[in-house]
Amino acid sequence: MHTSSSELIHIVRGGLAGSEAAWQLAERGHSVVIHEMRGVRGTPAHKTDRLAELVCSNTFKSTETSNAHGLLKAEMRLLGSIVLWAADEARVPGGTALAVDREVFSAAVHERVTSQPRISVVREEMAMLPSPGIVATGPLTSDALATAIRERLGIASLAFYDAIAPIVSRESIDDAVVFQASRYGKETFGAAGAEGAYLNCPFTREQYDAFLDALIAGDQHHGHEFDEVPYFEGCMPSRRSRVVDATRFASDR
Amino acid sequence: MKPVVLRDPRTGREAYAIAQLRMEDRGGRMWNLVGFQTRLRIPEQQRVFRLIPGLENAEFLRYGSIHRNSYVNSPATLTPHLSARDDAALLFAGQLTGVEGYTESTATGLLAGINLSRILAGEAPVIPPPTTMLGALYRYLREADPAHFQPMNANFGLVDDLTTRVKDKRAKREQLAERALADLAAWRDAALLSGAPR
Repeated sequence: MHTSSSELIHIVRGGLAGSEAAWQLAERGHSVVIHEMRGVRGTPAHKTDRLAELVCSNTFKSTETSNAHGLLKAEMRLLGSIVLWAADEARVPGGTALAVDREVFSAAVHERVTSQPRISVVREEMAMLPSPGIVATGPLTSDALATAIRERLGIASLAFYDAIAPIVSRESIDDAVVFQASRYGKETFGAAGAEGAYLNCPFTREQYDAFLDALIAGDQHHGHEFDEVPYFEGCMPSRRSRVVDATRFASDR
Repeated sequence: MKPVVLRDPRTGREAYAIAQLRMEDRGGRMWNLVGFQTRLRIPEQQRVFRLIPGLENAEFLRYGSIHRNSYVNSPATLTPHLSARDDAALLFAGQLTGVEGYTESTATGLLAGINLSRILAGEAPVIPPPTTMLGALYRYLREADPAHFQPMNANFGLVDDLTTRVKDKRAKREQLAERALADLAAWRDAALLSGAPR
């Protein structure tokens, strides 16, 4: 496709993204080095030193294109994804989900990528950001590389924990119940303006009590040990809610 | 959840408590439950958050979670093709860019590989149109509010609406998918990208 380049490209970490990127570059004639620290330095989550080891679930979710994940996969197939090729090779019965045998999957990616003559793998921890290069160090980015990212992009550029609130579709919200308004005229979002930026769901006392009871009794997910997050007091109403009145009158965020 | 200042225009009174939703995307298709970061299991999130008045039939585009996760504030610090702003050939990919999930992570690696190859050949980077799931995910990473940026998974709220209104949800998604795949193939051919793996 493109003219082959003599310039060596550096990819930091050989996870799903790094392996896919290396393959795409090599197929276009570029020489690529994957710098993978596993093998000399482990992570709290990985068990092997293979490329594309899956550390959480063994499924790539739906294959149906009427599902968002299924559609994204169909698009990636049009672009020649090697990772999805390996997932197909490693597929195990999972209904409409693309579930894989994780050993077979990472072995397939590893074998295919490392046997590409223009790709080599170096076992070392990278502490700098390479150019030309791709940084794909994932959710467990090492301290040294995190420092390099923050020095380059700014101290606030990199977060170490996510705290994700649910998102719902506009068309599924009941307009007979919710109303638009914002507090103090301060809450704005770009062109939507203060009034358009917030929808409010009003509770009666009975509704509120029932909601809080359900919230407090709700079954929580306990992830892997490496996934544990320190408790941030005052930042999450969904946990703070055990103190009922504190929830109603504590400041929202 | 304090009700202070907010009056329900239908009753003229302050409610006992209020849950607020904030617009997440400029198209107004996605609404964020403000402050409800949670570790509740997914079926529990459906059960509990549907007790909020107005959300009885809520369709969840993203579920709440709290993880250890290193990720860059992409809308604040990266270019549209997810490179450093002072070096187009230093790209970021995978979960580090603020996408969530195996497929999404792989997809950013795929496009990073394509774009770095183009950049080294002296060509401009390319991003699929926002009618595709891949292009829509990149648009989110570019346009999301940096002050509230949290990782995002693939979902239909990210994608441009159809030009005609389709009521049935499944039929609508099938049409969105059909359009996305046609647009992606056309984009691929226009950008002279190769198809199936060799």
